[in-house]
Amino acid sequence: MIGLTHYLVVGAILFVLGVLGIFINRKNVIIILMAIELILLSVNINLVAFSAYLGDLVGQVFSMFVLTVAAGEAAIGLAILVIYFRGRGTIAVDDVNRMKG
Amino acid sequence: MIQTIAFYLFATLVIASGALTVFARNPVHSVLWLILAFFNAAGLMILLGAEFIAMLLIIVYVGAVAVLFLFVVMMLDVDFAELRAGFVRYLPLGALLAIVLAVEIVFAIGAWSAGAINMGARIAPVASDVSNTQAIGQLLYTRYIFLFEAAGIILLVAMVGAIVLTHRKRGGVKPQDIGHQVRRRPEDATRLTRPESGQGVEL
Amino acid sequence: MTDLSQYLPILIFLGIAVGLSALFVFLPMGVSRLTGTHNPDAAKLSEYECGFPAFEDSRSQFDVRFYLVAILFIIFDLEAAFLFPWAVSLQDIGWAGWTTMMVFLAELALGLVYAWKKGALDWE
Repeated sequence: MIGLTHYLVVGAILFVLGVLGIFINRKNVIIILMAIELILLSVNINLVAFSAYLGDLVGQVFSMFVLTVAAGEAAIGLAILVIYFRGRGTIAVDDVNRMKG
Repeated sequence: MIQTIAFYLFATLVIASGALTVFARNPVHSVLWLILAFFNAAGLMILLGAEFIAMLLIIVYVGAVAVLFLFVVMMLDVDFAELRAGFVRYLPLGALLAIVLAVEIVFAIGAWSAGAINMGARIAPVASDVSNTQAIGQLLYTRYIFLFEAAGIILLVAMVGAIVLTHRKRGGVKPQDIGHQVRRRPEDATRLTRPESGQGVEL
Repeated sequence: MTDLSQYLPILIFLGIAVGLSALFVFLPMGVSRLTGTHNPDAAKLSEYECGFPAFEDSRSQFDVRFYLVAILFIIFDLEAAFLFPWAVSLQDIGWAGWTTMMVFLAELALGLVYAWKKGALDWE
């Protein structure tokens, strides 16, 4: 039988992959946003795994809220990306320093 | 037995497609790998008995969020090869941080399974006689009413924010105003005249 | 834990679908590789007769208006997702639960009115 630790390990690997993706794709905002989605997915896996193995439903409810926030974050993040691209013609993160004093 | 095989299948695929999301050269491929990762995560959720969350993952993430990512990748005409320039340069730092984080998480799991952290009392024990979706509904709309309304506010803010950021009036188009068309009477547009011979009609 | 045995047919279906589609993709490739001679050169790989060289990248740009529609779709998709558990548990949650959902729907209707007034729904 699959234990809780198995699911936690899967969640941990996904989380680390997401963080790694943010660091090595430092220039490409789209991939960074996708890495954030991966991180939130791993959080969801953790919440649901604990919810199932502890017999407590609250984890699944919070997983729904995490999903909601992830959708809102993707929508706003990509909207900012679109207007940034409209203004600058590039999406490289390195160029986001115009407001530096 | 089948459950074990299914778990290892889904877990392997979700990790592999997560890795390929991060490492793929083409952002379109990245989005497609992300979709595969979501599908396999939904499989894991079903194995855990969280059927509603699994369906939600497919409906919301695959059906809406991933499609939104795909739209944006297609919409922006970006030279993606140039954006990967720093890939090799950041790899050592990123790998170092990832290893540190992984070790920390392993320690955390170890501490938890050694019993160092006491779990609190169960707030909502899983009921055995109702389905997963119904149980979530019974909890979400009674105990977590205010969090639910806060989620609604978040959605509202996301919608308004996205419209404010990306919507703009475009000039040079002539939109159809149906109300104006329907309101228009024959008297507004036509005029009966009986011109004398030799005289024209004043337009 | 819910009874997972009811998902067994879906798993079998999934396995058959994946197996068949993999077969359809890789079998012709393998057979043609095994039976035909395979020595491509530039002239063989170029377009001929009705084909012509591609003018541009196949990734043509989308209009931003698609993006706005997609965002509105996400929001109302989530709203529909929240409606499912509400609908099946309406017997147990009483008037408080009903009122909660009505307030939630009113919040999103406010957003819809805003989108409508701003003209985000017009295609022009």
